[in-house]
Amino acid sequence: MRSRSITLFLAFLGTIPASLATLKANDGEVAFQFVGSYCLECHDASTEEGSRNFEEIDFPLQDEMGIIAVQEIIDQLNLGAMPPKKADQPEHNLKTNAIAALTAEVADAHARLKSTGGQTLLRRLNEREYLNTLEDLFSRRVDTFAPTAKFPSDQTDHHIDTIGDALVTSGFLLDNYFEAADLVVEKALGIEKKPEVKTWTFSDKFTQGQELSYSHKSVYNYEYLCVYEVPNTTNHEGGYAGLEQFPEGVHAAGYYEVKALAHSMHRDSPYDPEIFRMDLSEPFRLGIVTGDASIGELHHPQPVEPQLAEVTVADGKPQWHTMKVWLEKGQQPRFIFPNGMANCRQAFGKIAKEYKEQWPEEERDKASGISQARRIVLKHGKMPHIRIHEVQIKGPLYDEWPPEPQRVVFGEKGFSASRKTEILHQFAERAFRRPVEDDEVQRFVDLAEKRITEGHSPREATLDGIKAILCSPSFLYFDEAAEKEKGRLSAWDLANRLSYFLTASLPDEQLRSLAASGEILKKETILAETARLLDDPKSDNFIAGFLDSWLNYRALGDQPPDRNNAAPYYYDDLETAMKTETRLFLRHLLTANAPITDFLDSDYTFVNRPLAEHYRLDAPFTHDNAYTFQKVSLDDRRRGGLLGMGGVLTVSSNGIETSPVVRGVYVMENILGTPPPPPPDEVPALEPDTRGTTTIREQLAKHRELATCADCHQRIDPPGFALENFDPIGRWRTSYPQVNKKVPAVKIDPSGELYDGRKFEHLPDFKKLLLDQKDQFTRHLTERLLSYGAGRRIELLDRPRVDAVVAQVKEDDYGMRTLLEGVVTSEIFLSR
Amino acid sequence: MSLSKSSPSRRHFLRSVGATLSLPVMPSLLPNALGASGKLGATVAETASPSRMVAIGNLLGYQLDSLFPKTAGAQYETTRLLKPLEAVRKDMTLYRGLDHGVKGGHFAVHSFLTGVLKMDAKGRPDGNISLDQLAAESVRGRTRFPSLTVGSEGGIHGGCQMSWTRSGTRVPPIPGPQQLFEKLFVGEPASRLSEVKDRHSLQASILDAVSGDAKTLERKLDSEDRAKLDEYLTSVREVEQQLQLKEQWVEVPKPDAPFDEPKNVNLVEDLPLIYDLIALALQTDSTRIATLEIGGDFLPQHLGINDGYHSLSHHGKKQDAIDSLLVLEEYQMTHFARFLGKLAGTKEGDGTLLDHTSVLFGSGMGNANAHTNHDLPIILAGGGFDHGTFKKVPTEGHGKVPLSNLFLSVLHRFGVERDGFGNSTGTFV
Repeated sequence: MRSRSITLFLAFLGTIPASLATLKANDGEVAFQFVGSYCLECHDASTEEGSRNFEEIDFPLQDEMGIIAVQEIIDQLNLGAMPPKKADQPEHNLKTNAIAALTAEVADAHARLKSTGGQTLLRRLNEREYLNTLEDLFSRRVDTFAPTAKFPSDQTDHHIDTIGDALVTSGFLLDNYFEAADLVVEKALGIEKKPEVKTWTFSDKFTQGQELSYSHKSVYNYEYLCVYEVPNTTNHEGGYAGLEQFPEGVHAAGYYEVKALAHSMHRDSPYDPEIFRMDLSEPFRLGIVTGDASIGELHHPQPVEPQLAEVTVADGKPQWHTMKVWLEKGQQPRFIFPNGMANCRQAFGKIAKEYKEQWPEEERDKASGISQARRIVLKHGKMPHIRIHEVQIKGPLYDEWPPEPQRVVFGEKGFSASRKTEILHQFAERAFRRPVEDDEVQRFVDLAEKRITEGHSPREATLDGIKAILCSPSFLYFDEAAEKEKGRLSAWDLANRLSYFLTASLPDEQLRSLAASGEILKKETILAETARLLDDPKSDNFIAGFLDSWLNYRALGDQPPDRNNAAPYYYDDLETAMKTETRLFLRHLLTANAPITDFLDSDYTFVNRPLAEHYRLDAPFTHDNAYTFQKVSLDDRRRGGLLGMGGVLTVSSNGIETSPVVRGVYVMENILGTPPPPPPDEVPALEPDTRGTTTIREQLAKHRELATCADCHQRIDPPGFALENFDPIGRWRTSYPQVNKKVPAVKIDPSGELYDGRKFEHLPDFKKLLLDQKDQFTRHLTERLLSYGAGRRIELLDRPRVDAVVAQVKEDDYGMRTLLEGVVTSEIFLSR
Repeated sequence: MSLSKSSPSRRHFLRSVGATLSLPVMPSLLPNALGASGKLGATVAETASPSRMVAIGNLLGYQLDSLFPKTAGAQYETTRLLKPLEAVRKDMTLYRGLDHGVKGGHFAVHSFLTGVLKMDAKGRPDGNISLDQLAAESVRGRTRFPSLTVGSEGGIHGGCQMSWTRSGTRVPPIPGPQQLFEKLFVGEPASRLSEVKDRHSLQASILDAVSGDAKTLERKLDSEDRAKLDEYLTSVREVEQQLQLKEQWVEVPKPDAPFDEPKNVNLVEDLPLIYDLIALALQTDSTRIATLEIGGDFLPQHLGINDGYHSLSHHGKKQDAIDSLLVLEEYQMTHFARFLGKLAGTKEGDGTLLDHTSVLFGSGMGNANAHTNHDLPIILAGGGFDHGTFKKVPTEGHGKVPLSNLFLSVLHRFGVERDGFGNSTGTFV
């Protein structure tokens, strides 16, 4: 029947991304005729029913108002609300045809209005690129003081954070750049004299946080510093052990030797292991994070707290454990217990109550309040913990002076006033990422001179010039002024683009020299440098940055999974493990040039022990390598590919419940690159009713009843249903949670039917069907890489060049490395 | 309610002092004494009792069944969530049916004070600017702070994100009473004054240098890129303006602090103190505009409820989850009522501070369980408007009233002469 073939045709159209939907030559005509015949009678300038006047509408649409008006027409037609019952109704095929034409016109108009003409617009460094660049410019880490903590978050486009058009600068951000530049320059270069080495010893007065205070005084007399639980808990009682008696912190930034006289206590604890949710047979690990008493409580998480070191703790008698850590001025080391218990407050409470009979008689009644519970358990019980008897800190330890950051910026001998201009010139060259003219540097030299006349030392004045350089647009933006004829990037611009693509930071010496000589413009050189950079550990920045963009992993954890129902997410730090899994997967595909179709389905993945447990995989882990990731084979094809990965499954749910529509949209947007249009405005949102009687599948069935809703939902719902066996953090489940004792838990049905009628019973079946879409996937992944690398949206007019890369990839068995090589040698990447 | 049971500490004493004693009456700094009127672009005419504006929003809305009464008008019944507001009933108006016509659930909450979704803001004449920032532009220079944005930085999908600049940058909130106190009452000691001035001088010099660099860069660019660079140049101008403001106020001492600097505890327990400090900020004319966003840091544990706020909001119609939510919401209502009471109890000029302050309260989220952004909870208090009723407006069709119409009325009351705001079609109170 004709209508069915049109439905199929529309479904076929739907596999092309909305922005690339082929606008047919007569669409404008069809749309115009339809509006004229069926809308204008009531909605022209003289009648204006419902305050809507469509007389001015013409195609192609020229502005937002036109788009809004036509979108409204589309929505009303889809809902069957217009034309109203009393008016002439268009025949079904005509109506469907008209909706398609109107939709294509709107999509085309959107693309035209958003278009940057297939060119990268002046784009600024995003936050992570900015931080990496500072680290390279000063040869110093910046994560220990977070200069961008107050920065507004970067704007993204389709989750990609490198799009020039989207990244906005404001006075607010610029003010933050001043503060950040000031902070970084003072920390990296501000200290003239080598700081004196100091030692501190702490052996008592370990008061810790207010919750532990009473029990620690009563039982230990504050003589031990103890850690009980993992850092990320709800109550934060015993996850961070800081030195309350040392609020001033160290006097100068640098490396410090931190020694802790410590041992594990009660690994032989007899209590129910469920209370702890930790594996006592595993040796305890002691870590150090930074802490700053002036920012907040030492026993609470702080905004800046990178982990600096980790060791295994000795059993038996206390032993010295030595770690070398970098601390900023004013900071102190805080101890953490990465594989500690899940929640010590709960544990204290439970143990005190459940093992009451073991306490002396006079204590048994007191066990109910939490304060007493802690005291009783610590005094009479066997609470596993790490006990530190003494802490020694010594530093800062500098082998050389001036330190590296100063030698890098001032030269080997350090600062000298006579070389002020030379220093600023060199810094500007590195910061602006290209050769600089004298007159460009002169303004910064002038600034320094002015500061000297205002009473500052030449050294301080030069630092001020450096701060100014860090606020200049030549630093903050990639100017990529193209060679006029071909639109191709110049050598320096290409070197920068390649470097920021693959390492998210400044080109290194070799790449700089290839830029200077112009060699980088040669195809062989580009490929050789790509290979070299991928071998460099800095390419981890590419892997993490790209996955954060493409799969929106940046948002992982923004909708925090429920603390009770998803406890392992927190005490096993699954969030980090999930990100690592996908990063190692991509790294493997690049190194081995494995097929990108492995993303759609694979017989292997990468896990550490907690993640293996989460996925219920049998994997050979021992205590020594429990947290080291290994490649594991998958017999069971429920896991395998992106759709089996915890990261994808978690970021496509809201932390509390799953929705097949949300997951289906995620698959369509990010894996297939065929985002569905949004629902008509007046469809009421689905109000989840989890009181057990109605399943989501039953609720969504309504979408199948309305023909126009079915068009989109036939494509959205199936991937979502296939994934319903995964809970909000990607654990396998066969039924939904039981809501109350009377209603049995509802079994999950993961079967479905694709828009073309092909059916699947469950996820492994679905993934096989997904593989049929591999060319679509290839095109989508290619576009994402090109977009991320070139810093712009990929548009309709780029299609031929995208297709060229896709052809290359297909010819080489869909190899990931081949894809990357195709990207860096593509016209799109090599041009503005 | 279970606040942390530590032994009586100074902190607790101060907190309860804030709660029971009336605020000390501070003499208002007369802005004209500084010769600042009009200098930095202030457009609002100065009067003896200047207009103020406060907007309070939360992340996950309210249980609308327990908020909205059935009877409209002045005789509306007191529902569970309106009970804490009984004492200030005559000073407030409750609205039902106002919204911005946006969709997106958590992704649309940020439109509460702007009236538009971030992504739709780009081409619009006012960009993405929020009500408070727009009002702040009109009183620039009159007070030390054009506005104060306070509250929770984060939460689901970035949090409330209530306050926005024209170019689409979020104004991050001051996170707690400690920082707010410092802004209001802790100035630079006289000994540091020359250092602060020197810093301003450095900033001014840097602004000169980077402007020069921008001009060099501009010559290399084509027209589209120049438009992008213009963003940078606009930013430079904005910072220059801010710097002028700082220079103007650096010699002016801040008002005396009425109590010692508090330390942050958590957003739940700090809520009354934050409201007190906002009231003080208005009273001392440190600012005329304040916003408060109650977002992700508002943790139910601090009220003895062991569950995530977001988790609870997806109650799926389970009664015990709804009950917990009502406890959280009653707490927010109680402290809002207390704040209004404070303003009403502060005499100023020919009336009270509340008479001169328009207070908006509500959320960009309607029904969090279903992720809808229509049927928003909206309360307007003070500002010299007529109050004491519950107004219901149609949610669609001819009688539909955009929430921005209410905002436009508030702007007019504040003294900003404008034809429209967001997608307003007129005024409405």
